[in-house]
Amino acid sequence: MQFEVIARCPTTKARVSRMTLAHGVTMLPTFMPVATQAAIKGLTPEQVESLGVTLILNNTYHLNLRPGLKVLNEVGGAHKFQGWERNLLTDSGGFQLVSLSKFTTITEEGALFASPFTGEPTMLTVRLVVDAPPSTLIAPEPKPEESISIQHAIGADIIMQLDDVVSSLTTGPRVGEAMERSVRWLDRCIAYHEKSGKKERQNLFAIVQGGLDPGLRDRCLDAMIERRDNVAGYAIGGLSGGEEKDTFWRVIKQCADKLPDDSELSVDEYITDCYSNNLQGRDIQWESDSQKIYLSAWPLELIWYGPALLVFIEATDSYLNHIPKADCVFPTRTARFGVALTHGGPLNLKLNKHARDFNPIDVNCPCPTCSGKTSRAILHHTITQETSAAHAITLHNITFQAQVMGRARAAIVAGTFPDYLRTFFAEYFGGAGYPEWCVNALRSVGVDLLEGKDIKMIPGSGAKWEYSDTS
Amino acid sequence: MSSLPPVPSLSFSLFTPPTTRFGPRLGTIRFKRPEGAEIQIQTPGFLTSASRGVVPHLSRDHYAESSIRWVNLPFESFLDVPPPVPTLVPGKNPLHSFLGYSLGQHVVSMSARDPADGREMPANGNTHVSTYSLRGVRKITPADWRSYVLSCKPDIVFALSDIPFTNPPYSQKRLTKSIERSASWLANILSPPTHTSTYALSEGEYKPNILIHMAGAASVPARRAFASSLVEKLLGPEADAIKPLETLDQGVFGYTFDLVPIRLSLEAAEKQHQDPFYSPVESLPQTPPSAADANSNSNSTSTPSSEVNLDPVIPAHTDQLTPLLHASLEPLPVEKMRLVNTVQTPHEVLRLISTVGIDIFDAHWAQRAADIGVALDFTFPAPSSSSSSSISSTATKTRDNGKHDIGHNLYSDSYTHDFSSFSATPCECRACTPIAPSTRIYHGIDDPSYSNEEPAASSVREKPSFTRAYIHHLLHTHEMSAHSLLVMHNLGVLDTFFASIRRIIQRDMEAQIKGSEVEGGEWEEEVRRFEEYYDESLVVFEEARVMWRDVDLARGRGRLKREKKRQEEGTLGTAVEL
Repeated sequence: MQFEVIARCPTTKARVSRMTLAHGVTMLPTFMPVATQAAIKGLTPEQVESLGVTLILNNTYHLNLRPGLKVLNEVGGAHKFQGWERNLLTDSGGFQLVSLSKFTTITEEGALFASPFTGEPTMLTVRLVVDAPPSTLIAPEPKPEESISIQHAIGADIIMQLDDVVSSLTTGPRVGEAMERSVRWLDRCIAYHEKSGKKERQNLFAIVQGGLDPGLRDRCLDAMIERRDNVAGYAIGGLSGGEEKDTFWRVIKQCADKLPDDSELSVDEYITDCYSNNLQGRDIQWESDSQKIYLSAWPLELIWYGPALLVFIEATDSYLNHIPKADCVFPTRTARFGVALTHGGPLNLKLNKHARDFNPIDVNCPCPTCSGKTSRAILHHTITQETSAAHAITLHNITFQAQVMGRARAAIVAGTFPDYLRTFFAEYFGGAGYPEWCVNALRSVGVDLLEGKDIKMIPGSGAKWEYSDTS
Repeated sequence: MSSLPPVPSLSFSLFTPPTTRFGPRLGTIRFKRPEGAEIQIQTPGFLTSASRGVVPHLSRDHYAESSIRWVNLPFESFLDVPPPVPTLVPGKNPLHSFLGYSLGQHVVSMSARDPADGREMPANGNTHVSTYSLRGVRKITPADWRSYVLSCKPDIVFALSDIPFTNPPYSQKRLTKSIERSASWLANILSPPTHTSTYALSEGEYKPNILIHMAGAASVPARRAFASSLVEKLLGPEADAIKPLETLDQGVFGYTFDLVPIRLSLEAAEKQHQDPFYSPVESLPQTPPSAADANSNSNSTSTPSSEVNLDPVIPAHTDQLTPLLHASLEPLPVEKMRLVNTVQTPHEVLRLISTVGIDIFDAHWAQRAADIGVALDFTFPAPSSSSSSSISSTATKTRDNGKHDIGHNLYSDSYTHDFSSFSATPCECRACTPIAPSTRIYHGIDDPSYSNEEPAASSVREKPSFTRAYIHHLLHTHEMSAHSLLVMHNLGVLDTFFASIRRIIQRDMEAQIKGSEVEGGEWEEEVRRFEEYYDESLVVFEEARVMWRDVDLARGRGRLKREKKRQEEGTLGTAVEL
């Protein structure tokens, strides 16, 4: 990996960097769509690439279940399997330990859990015993090493250590235990990765744990920074489990402030951008009426640096946390349920007010949907009926996210990032008011969104959601 | 006359004057737009079916890359909320601009109903057809249809026809009504605009190109009567109404046959014949039980029932179709285009070319195969028994009857480790031959001057084919991308199939001209070999359908039932989980 900072925002510390991996260059900060099951919902890899996406995520847990390692080994990795020629990142699969299975048991030797689909004990750190009765939990065959081994088979350009994830709302000794264990597991992942001969093409990231406790976070940061010569970058984990937004950004800021900046370090071994592992928390949610698990499709991962950018991205997305139950969707499904993101806020294309609207979602958007003049009316007519409506909105939403990041990069390079933040908030939230936590977080890095403006602040997540025709 | 503004012109010409009324023929449909673009469709060829105005599973950027030349839009799905939204679209080509079809590449036609929908419907009336919309049954009158057509300006339009979907087999009285109404509704759309009409046309403006569905269900006399009525010279007020035309047929571009209602009639008649106690409704898988309890001519159902099989397999009755199609075509000029909707197999395509001389077939069956995870893989001519592809490990499955599948059920676990392309020999489609994007969007500080990367090559770079193993994975993980790739592939296979059909027919014609043709010709021999080689019972579709439903049940469990049911009803049970 090569990593080079090319510009910095003097106010917020946000920066623009060039990251060169085995499958090309990704300019950071970037938007990374999620292809959990080795496909971006409904699109072909050629379409995704043409949108200007240079990095996507596959989920280790899912690919290990299907298609399985044998297939991935036979075909020569996930890039070839899905026809993706640009950069790829995999998570460790650890997050799914908490989110996908209520039977998870974590021991020093690894994690044991049951497949959410079949109930069979499965995966990552468990040796699968095929003939075992489904209800039996098998003694774990440990191993953070196994997570790395699976990620080697997948062959992503960036891979993640196995971490011991606890819900961010957990308190007590379990949080510290998980943090300590994550550090020990990092050592085992490093050792395994070093021996594998895969270091040239695959880059291991550490994941900072420690829950919401600043003391634990600090100890974890110290321990992981000590190992900086052996990791290519850092992710911040263990967040987005339902904690207050103000707590959330403070933890991020604490980590971002402490994680080393490349200026003091050897550039080619190091990347200090943070992979926000926690965002997976929004990627997998529970549908309240049926208690069924939905897996991700819609993509809100990113590589970012510094609280300024984090807030920015979170804000564009925050409406998702407070949507009415009748439209019980989550990020993964927004496109499929007809929500198009625009710089002027999200549009719910299911609403009747769009039924006769022959304008595109955003007349200035360069995506194939908008540049091809696909109207809101035809999207309204086909959404929830035809998969192609979801494809059209997904093409748009991915482009929107990429535009938001691209403009942020441009603003940082131009030295106008604080202005860009203010403009973005003004357009996106308008008179509806700004989320209070965003205002607070950006104040902490020297940007006052309310400067010279009379705008109310919305406590909580600051949802903005077009949920009825009367709104 | 050169001072008239240019109008789109549509023509159909046969390659050589046909020597027989019924038999394989080659032709060309030419559609020339005033803007200059000309679209040519070689026949025999196919049209692509749309659902809610769009080709299922394809993004608009895929339209241009797929083998799509003619798209038919069933209009009923736009009737949920009046007025239908396409009628409000401004411009000279409202359907193209609204739905994203290319003026230079796609001919767009419009039919009132989805020809694949065989659901029982409330009876049609003297002045309306009952159509299906997501919000229930909607009536279309001939006047409505005319106004929709004049507003939407489709390149081609199917005249409104009275095709009953109540309780086949139909009485003679019902059939008489059907042919009378169909003829009179045809006259309605043919009649020139009056000066008082809101849709008055000045010279050079839009004039619809009309296809007429050949009415008469499964009755030879009724079919013949309807066809004859088209070429009769009209008299009196009827003649005045269509002036300057003298017969209805003069205003018609071609003839169409929807096979679903004919098959339903044949099936009902057969059951009745076999079982004197047979109640016709039981033979219709799509008949709701409530309607069976009620009187058979009940008109009480205001909406089609949803507790029914929306995608029934209707026995093909291919052999019985031929005389019925002949009865319709016999009284009519031989040189007009002939179109068949809802064929079920490539075998049937070949037979209808052989025995009737059909020019255009719909692709519904191949598109449907993509819904249920089947990648078509067959060739015409069929592989010779000695050729390597028949024993290759990438060939389709051989059934107990010794015949080969026409495709792969990619749900099957036998494809888990199969890294070959969908077709044993990769076709030109974007699944078998993906093309690396030659451009990309730049979003800021990511162009080559910052990334130091080479800009994408402007030359075409082919990527490796998508594999069966990948689609197998996508199908089992409910990823919609599987269906996008399968649709592009299946349309690509159809395109190749029809090109081969035309090549063989042409060879025979050339041989005939030279006087060197063999008995029956190469065509008949190849059709026979195809039928011998490939399984027509489509066991592979049945197996795929079962697995498709199983995966749907296993993985689609949290979906709001209401949403899912609506989607299924709207897509005739071919819904792919969103």
